[in-house]
Amino acid sequence: MQWTPAKLVPRSAPAVLGVLLLLAIVSFAAVGHLVNRFNANQQARGRRFYAQGLADVSAGNLSAAVEDFRAALTYDPTNSQYQLSLGRVLRDTGRLDEAEAYLLAVWERTPQGGPINLALGRVAARRGSLDDALRYYHNAIYGVWGSDADANRRRARIELIEFLLQKRDWSEAQSELVALAASLPPDPALHLQAAAFFAQAQDYRNALSEYEQVIRIDHSNSAALAGAGEAAYRLGRFRSASRNLQSAVNGNPQDSKSRQLLQSASLILQTDPFVRRISDAERNRRITAAFFKAGDRLKSCAQVKGTGLGEPATDAAASPSQSPLTTLAARWSAMKPDLRRLRSQGESDLPDAVLDLVLQIEQETAAECGQPEGVDLALLLISRNREVADQ
Amino acid sequence: MKTDASGPDLAKSTPDSAAGRAPWQGLRAVIDGIFDEERFFLILSVFIGVFAGLAVVCFRLAIDWTHLALLGPLPQTHGWRLFVVPCLAGLVVAVLVMQVFPGIRGSGVNQTKAALYIFNGYIPFRTAVGKFICAAIAIGAGHSLGPEDPSLQIGASLASALGRQLRLSREKLRLMAPVGAAAGLAAAFNAPISAVLFVIEEVIGRWSAGILGSVVLSAVSSVVIVRWFLGGEPLFRIPVTAFRRPEELIAYAVLGIVGGVAAVVFAKAIGYLRPRLKALPRWTQYLQPGIAGLLIGMIAYFGAPQVMGAGYSAMDEAMHGQYTWKVLAVLAGLKILATTISFVSGAPGGMFAPALFVGAMLGGAVGGVEHRFFPHLAGSNGTYALVGMGVLFAGFLRAPMTSVFMVLEVSGNYEIIVPVIVANTVSYVVSRSLQFIPIFDLLTRQDGLVLPSLEEEREETILRVEDAMLPAPAIILTASDYVDAAVRRIQGSGQAIFPVRMQPSGWSSISRDLVERLLKEGKGEYTLGSLLPTQNLPCLYPDLPLDTALRYVNKVPFVPVVNRANSQELEGIVSSESVFKKYHSEAGNGSPQVA
Repeated sequence: MQWTPAKLVPRSAPAVLGVLLLLAIVSFAAVGHLVNRFNANQQARGRRFYAQGLADVSAGNLSAAVEDFRAALTYDPTNSQYQLSLGRVLRDTGRLDEAEAYLLAVWERTPQGGPINLALGRVAARRGSLDDALRYYHNAIYGVWGSDADANRRRARIELIEFLLQKRDWSEAQSELVALAASLPPDPALHLQAAAFFAQAQDYRNALSEYEQVIRIDHSNSAALAGAGEAAYRLGRFRSASRNLQSAVNGNPQDSKSRQLLQSASLILQTDPFVRRISDAERNRRITAAFFKAGDRLKSCAQVKGTGLGEPATDAAASPSQSPLTTLAARWSAMKPDLRRLRSQGESDLPDAVLDLVLQIEQETAAECGQPEGVDLALLLISRNREVADQ
Repeated sequence: MKTDASGPDLAKSTPDSAAGRAPWQGLRAVIDGIFDEERFFLILSVFIGVFAGLAVVCFRLAIDWTHLALLGPLPQTHGWRLFVVPCLAGLVVAVLVMQVFPGIRGSGVNQTKAALYIFNGYIPFRTAVGKFICAAIAIGAGHSLGPEDPSLQIGASLASALGRQLRLSREKLRLMAPVGAAAGLAAAFNAPISAVLFVIEEVIGRWSAGILGSVVLSAVSSVVIVRWFLGGEPLFRIPVTAFRRPEELIAYAVLGIVGGVAAVVFAKAIGYLRPRLKALPRWTQYLQPGIAGLLIGMIAYFGAPQVMGAGYSAMDEAMHGQYTWKVLAVLAGLKILATTISFVSGAPGGMFAPALFVGAMLGGAVGGVEHRFFPHLAGSNGTYALVGMGVLFAGFLRAPMTSVFMVLEVSGNYEIIVPVIVANTVSYVVSRSLQFIPIFDLLTRQDGLVLPSLEEEREETILRVEDAMLPAPAIILTASDYVDAAVRRIQGSGQAIFPVRMQPSGWSSISRDLVERLLKEGKGEYTLGSLLPTQNLPCLYPDLPLDTALRYVNKVPFVPVVNRANSQELEGIVSSESVFKKYHSEAGNGSPQVA
């Protein structure tokens, strides 16, 4: 194109600049229109690929979803939703480095965002990185959520708890559980879940408390009754355990675990000489039975271990070379004649002494020969929970 | 405002007679008076930046659109198109370059430089149009070239066209091209400081305060335009980077060595193949870009689609640890190959992005290796990739200052400035020691042009006044000396002319004949200061370039060379004889400056 400068260029500088300004404004508007149309077109294509990616995710076709989300991002490179989705799918397909790169790009723009921190927390959890997981999950818990913030925060905390339990980090898990329990609405399902987590984190006291909350809301909740029974059982509160387990078994006869625990708890309650509200005669009978049961257990364990129990030294202070089983056998033999004195009113220390020996035998044989069964197991559990067994 | 003889005066109002002057004409005269040439040029620079920015926005859209239209969104799903599209695009571009837009081959940096130094700032407008269309097709179709150098040339071409339409003076017209180049490059990189530095380092070739303001204004305004339309997002996501331990500098120095060697390989490959392909029969030049496209398509098809186009997404992935060091090393090698093929075939496109790509991949690879063998030394691979970009920039494009600022500007992270400086300097030194001529100079020489280079200027031996300085004369008179006393002092001396220290400052000279004549005229009791003309001799300082002395030595018998701290202290003198003698001796030594 041949321009004629003499006509197009005005003679004064302000006029030149005015013309240039006008030209710039017109060009600006034209390019703006072009860019908007281009972007709109690109975004529409991006949305199509994104929708296809979501459909792929729903269908479980993650590798196709990755390609679709990538394509969507090609058309709309700064779309956080696309990046987030791509990062999530990459994470789910195990491509953690790539996932993290995309998610971090989103995180850099919205470091306070709940969803992105949750996604990064999940990546860290998949990696097994405790510090990163704690950081991102906590960011998610205390971050900004667009809608349903409480539920999302709770979900983030629950995921963190699951990760901590998986890492067997009981103390961190218990801390998070206490925070979770404090913020739970009166929803039996949530309390039940929290109680199960407490139990998994070996915090049976809080587990029992949560189960009892559920039971207060829903008296016939078999899962809560079973859980409460088990928690009480682990705490050594066998009477309470027996009561809850009985209710659980009544509500759900197929619950074999509760039934087994119930049998064990019942046996303990029937065996324990220290339970309240039994007569002296019954107590003496239980002590005598326990004494002979312990003697049998001692003999069988000694046979298994190949330890000879014959002709033991009668002196309680036996030589150091003797095995513990031999020593206990000697003490058992020495105490046997004293059992007849149990009926005597004056022998108030004897029941305790007998039972101490019984529990020692059970503990020692458990250490030497493994976990016992039946009455021996009951006696062992009684020895472990002697103070609370009757609760 | 100065104009060509035929051009209108843009800044001054037309003088009217006082009688006929209307009030508005007076106002117009005031307004016109505000716009002297310098101010007008500065304002014009802003407009150049705006227009260049708008052009670059359209250019980037064109590349994106071409890429998505021809190749689709994902390299993995291209299939047969990987072969066909770059090949056909190469053929189309070849026809356009050969028949419609001659002179748009290559990157555009040298053409802009040639416009400044040879063609009085003239770059045809059709160059901008041709570069826009052909580079968009070539890069969009997957040729391994970058959009930055074409953006630079598009900006320069637009500015040149504007300057011609406004009939600017030749001096200003020459400067329009670099001003537009800075705007184009700044818009392409989204990095105004790097663009300004690059234009000064590579296009203008010297620091000039006169043009710096215009270049900065145009660069900033173009970046504002680009950010307005395309957002302020960097070209790639910047990884979290940190310089943790000083020992890591050893690792970065190793990266500098590797980068320097790679830069030399890259430059030598282009320097070797380009003239040989250009020397082939003319009809082959219609096929060369197509064959190049086919080869690049093969590289992409057989596992490395990342080498296609500018490759910013692959750089992004490299910086975020998505490739192993082996993959990164392979990609660096393949990118050098693909870019060499594309560039020497004559397809229009730039080398900035490929250099950054190779640098990022090499950086990541070196970081990966070091991380593997010396985990206590190495930072993240992303940091190495980022530093690596600057390393190739410094070694390949030989723009050390630009390379440092580019990495800092792109990353926005000043923590890594020390590693960047170390690695870039090592790379620059290694590259320079293995290949003396920088790539852009090599290309211009292959095209039969000799353009000035800031790198050469930096290395030149500059003659200074002190090199031609003669010792101060034994007798120095002062303005307070009486004529009869002066005659007594100079008796027995062989000097013909004596310097006179004037009061309170300055220097003059007087000849033996004049002093003696004054005495004979009965002016023995006059002081020299009262008799000598008030016009002092010009003075020089020892560190000034010797060229400065040339302005004075033919007008006066000698020029005093004085101390900068005390101008009354004479360090020596220079005369026309001593200056020319020095130049003559340097010419005999074959100094590059004189040559």
